[in-house]
This record gives sequence, structure tokens and C-alpha cells, in this order.
Amino acid sequence: MSHPVLDEVRRYLGRGQSAPLAARPAVPPARQANSTSEEIELLLREIQALSGSAAHMAAGDLDAALVRLVQEQEIKKACLWSTPRLADLGVERRLQDLGVQIIPGQADKRSLAQCDLGVTEVDFALPETGTLGLLASAKKPRAVSLLPRVHLAIVHPAALRADLQQVFIEAKDQHYLVFISGPSRTADIELTVTLGVHGPKALVVWVMDD
Amino acid sequence: MSETPTHIEFGEYSRRVPPNIPAAVQQATARFLEHRQARVDEMPQWEDLRQAASDLRLHTLLHLDTYLEKLESRVSAAGGVVHWARDAAEACEIVLEIARAHKVRRAVKVKSMATEEIGLNQALAAAGIQALETDLGEFIIQLAGTGPSHIVAPAVHLTKEEIAALFSEKLGVQAPADPVQLTEIAHAALREKFLEADMGISGGNFLVAETGTLVIVTNEGNGRMCTTLPDLHVAVVGIDKVIPDWESLAVLLKLLARSATGVKISTYTSFISGPRAVEGEGGPREFHLVLLDNGRSRLLQDPLGRETLKCIRCGCCLNVCPVYKNVGGFAYGWFISGPVGAIFSPQILGVEAARQLPFASTLCGACADVCPVKIPIPEILLHLRQRVVEGDEFGGPAVARVVQVGAKTAALAFGTPWLYRLGARLLPWLSAPAQRQGWLAALPPPANRWTKVRPFPAFAARFRQWWKGRHPRKQP
Repeated sequence: MSHPVLDEVRRYLGRGQSAPLAARPAVPPARQANSTSEEIELLLREIQALSGSAAHMAAGDLDAALVRLVQEQEIKKACLWSTPRLADLGVERRLQDLGVQIIPGQADKRSLAQCDLGVTEVDFALPETGTLGLLASAKKPRAVSLLPRVHLAIVHPAALRADLQQVFIEAKDQHYLVFISGPSRTADIELTVTLGVHGPKALVVWVMDD
Repeated sequence: MSETPTHIEFGEYSRRVPPNIPAAVQQATARFLEHRQARVDEMPQWEDLRQAASDLRLHTLLHLDTYLEKLESRVSAAGGVVHWARDAAEACEIVLEIARAHKVRRAVKVKSMATEEIGLNQALAAAGIQALETDLGEFIIQLAGTGPSHIVAPAVHLTKEEIAALFSEKLGVQAPADPVQLTEIAHAALREKFLEADMGISGGNFLVAETGTLVIVTNEGNGRMCTTLPDLHVAVVGIDKVIPDWESLAVLLKLLARSATGVKISTYTSFISGPRAVEGEGGPREFHLVLLDNGRSRLLQDPLGRETLKCIRCGCCLNVCPVYKNVGGFAYGWFISGPVGAIFSPQILGVEAARQLPFASTLCGACADVCPVKIPIPEILLHLRQRVVEGDEFGGPAVARVVQVGAKTAALAFGTPWLYRLGARLLPWLSAPAQRQGWLAALPPPANRWTKVRPFPAFAARFRQWWKGRHPRKQP
């Protein structure tokens, strides 16, 4: 196949066509996981260091935690992912009981931008860097973790991965993945750290045991 | 700002830099470096990662054609459209063509060095399309109508008072000189722009050939906004940004943010393979990738010069550079500054156009010590200094005749033992009358360019004699 840019690349590499591919250099070994409780501890610590709020709780604590969140953050409207686990936890119903209006996650972007809260359930969590990994599908709309003022992410311990390498092995064939490490942040004005410049101003992470 | 320059006058530009710029730049770079050091100290495998990153980047460059072909086929398979641009004009034309076909009126942009390089904003504006920078720092300098002073912190040279005055004037709001409130004003102004934009334009930090994935790293979330909300996403990315696979990506991502601002990871990293898969998930309906050459392929022919293309644009070499820290980004005359700018621009534009940049360095080597992909910047600077004197494929020597003759004479003298010995005997004797306490206060032209600024050490000892006296040859 003739191609202007590729032809230039080959010309300057001094050959007419592709050379046989040499073995790709090896990469250093991935980080190993500690015990689940240590990994959860580390995840919470790292998210807090990034100005996120993070807690480890049992399913029974959910109601009290939601009441506090809705009060403190003055949540009026919320959108959610439609995952089985969020359904099991009954997050939508509990929010409605607290007087929060639910906007469908698949609503148009202007409606989602009106939401105070977006609720997701993370696909991956990386304790070392306090990172949440989220995939996308019709039941997991991308903007739910982006447009609302507050992002509540539920983490199931089964989502913990020790290293980027493990996440990438599982996620590389997905068409979309986003890593979120703390709330939206800028230091572009006189190096003063300011939260919520474009994305959510608050990131709330609850690790929930089975 | 940032039309392709035909001449970069580093000396002149650096004299015009107002003193507040180096002061602000030094504050930012000191903080980045302090945080970076903390990250390096907590990672025992840091040097292994750097070596692996360097090997991976070089490997990719040596097989760039193969990886680009793979990338193209995977992006297409994912439903994206790949375009190839030989130069800046072609790249701008491709983006304009896509915009026209979709009747785009408003575009939102993620901070991108590639689009700065090709002058895309000017091209779009000329076609009546508003292209709004959405990174807070870039938004501020776009309002101010200037260029970036640091590749990671573009508006670091402006004070909150200056930004408040700028917002009051350009946005028609009462803006107090408070970073938090100024950020809120920008948030409100830009939120509506994201929602109404017809096109999102981004660059890219990496392109993963294995799956045709575009990787974008930001802290503010504007990268996600621009690549999620508009129906159309166009990415303009240099061909040097391709990497083999996700294993390579993990290595490079571990190094990038830690080297750049000293955080473990940036707030948001998006991994985008083609457009949205289903209606309900949101995200663009169409994804276009413009692969930009613009002189990069030519660098591949030079085994030393090609190492420049390993760069992942972390900005760490700027942060450690004593020259950069005293002049800031503007003096380098193009979108890329600091040590990496001093090796990139002369190779892309030719040494005639950027003839002073290879000399804008003390060769202290700090840049090479911190570079996460181990670019031998000082060696490339020396290599380019030689090209400045001898000429390159763009043109002949780019220095005055006297410097060429001087360089040739020096090369001859240092390369010919008897001539060197003769000089070593003659110079102390010749310069003795001008010598004052071991220093020469004035030298004849052209060497007076040195002595105008500081005295020159007198030719005191004969190196060979000194060496013999100090280091008697050891018996094997």
C-alpha cells in the first residue's frame, strides 16, 4: 500500500517496506497486592489525599450515609447507573425516599448537567494511586460521573486490582475506559489548588462489603 | 500565536522577557520538582521504569511504520476514521473539512500541543469557527491573546489580579482577585460552552496500536467534557505518540504524571477506542484521528536526533533547566520550550530558523538526569551545535563566517597533537601582558563577547605537563 506519511517514515528509516518486528522490550513486574483489608485501607487513604471523601461501610450503614450526603451536599436531583449491585442496594429508592428527584442516566446532557449527584459502581479500583476505573455502556452512561456536582462511587472489594497492568489486561478490549483519581482539580491560577473546575467538585467513595 | 515561526531569535526574545515571568516560573517548577522527588523516592523501581520506557519508545520509533499501520487498522475497526497529514497546512485542512461537513460553528478544545504546533485555532477562526480552549490555564491565555509560559502550567506567569482584570474585561463579570472565585467564574462560563459545542478537539498523550486507543490525561475534567459531550470528536496527534500495547502504556503512565507535576496519577485518564458503541452511553457519534507528521519522520534518519521523538511531554526537563527557569517559555519562540524545545524546534524547522536554540543551554545535564524516557538532551544539543556550524538539509551553516573559521581552527588544533602543544606553549606567553592575577579582563573580537560579561581565566598551565605530573602512568 502506498501512503505519503508511511512512505516517508520508511524512507527515513532506510527501507522500502516494514521490517520484521523485533521483540518488544520487557516491562518491569507489576505491583503485588497486599491483603484485601490493607488494600482497602490504602485506597481510602489515597483518595482522601486527593481531596476525595472515602469510607468503608457495611450495607446496613447505607441509609445513614445517604441521609448525611443528601443533607450536607444539598442534593435535589440525582442520576444513577443501572447496575445490578446498585439495584440490590436500593440506592435509587432510598434517594427517592429522601425527596431526591431521579433523572434517568440516559437523559440528555443538559438534564444530566442539572443533577447534583451522579451515582456509579466502579469496575476497577487501584489502591496505590486512589484510582477508580469506569467502563461505559447503555446502563453505564459516561456523563453520570462527569456532569453532576457530586460523584458518588460505590466500590465492591472484588473491583480491587493491585496494578495498572491487571486493569489493562481486563479492559483493553473495551471501547471506553476512564480513570478517576479524586475530584476535578486545577492549580492554574497562582498554583492555588481549586476543586470542581469542570468535573465534579466532590468525589465520595464508599467501599461496601458484600 | 504559534504560527510556524520562520526565525526564532532566542537571544532577543529572552531579553524582552519581563522579570515577573522567571519569578513565577521558578515558583511553579520548584513545587513540581519537590513533589516529583517525593514520588521518585517512594518507587524503588523508578530507574527500571525509565529504562523500560526508553527502550519501549525507541523500539516503537524503529518500527514506527508497522505500529502506525496497526493503529490505523484498529482505529478503523473500532469505527473511527483515520486521516494522515504530512504537514501543518494539511492537518488544518483536514480538520476544517470535517468541521464543514458537519456544519460546525462552535468547537471546544482540550489543551493540545499538536494543535498549537499547527496553528489550528487560527485556521478555524479564519473559517468562522470559534475554537475555545477549555483548560483553565489555556482559557486564560487565550483571553489574554498570549502563548504558554510553561507546557504544563501555561498561565503561571499571570497573577490573580491580572486574571481578575482580564475576566472583568473579556467576560463582562465582576471578578475578584481570588483563585477560587476566578475558577468558579471560568467554570460557569465554560459549562455552557461544553453543552452547546458541536465539535470537541483534542490532542492525545498516547495512541495504543494494539487496540487503536487514544489516551488523554487531564486534571480538570475538560478532556472528558470535550470528548464526551459534543457529537463529534477530532483528535490531532503526532505520529510519534504511538506505542505498541497496553503493557507499554502502563509503564509510561506510571512515569508521566510523577515526572510532570509530581502526582502519582493525573485526575482523569480517558481511554477512547472509536466513537460510542450504543446510543445510551453518551459520547461522540463520530471519532476522527488526524495523524500528524510535520517533519517528525525526517528525524528518524538520524540515530541520535530520533531520540527526541521519545518525548512524552511531561515538562520535567523544563523544571530542572537553569536556562529555562531564567527566561520562561516565550523565549523559545514556538509551542515547545525548555531543553526539549531546544532540540525539537531546530530539527523540525531547520538550524537556520532556530540557530540559537542549541546554544540556549549550559550543558549541565540535569535534563537528561530526570527525563523519564532518557532522552540524551545534552548530546543532541552538541550534535545540533555542530549542524548549526556545518549546515543541515534545510540550508548551509547558520553562523557567522568568523565562528565557522573559529570552530574549524579549534577542531584542527585540538585534533593535531603538535599544533595543540604549540598553542599550549604560545598562548600563556602571548597573553602574559594582558594578564591580571590569573585573569584576562579583555580579549580581542570576537572573543570579547565573553570578556564583556566576565573575565576569562588566563592560560596558566600546560595541561599535558600537569597531567604527567599528577598521574604517573601506573604499571600494569
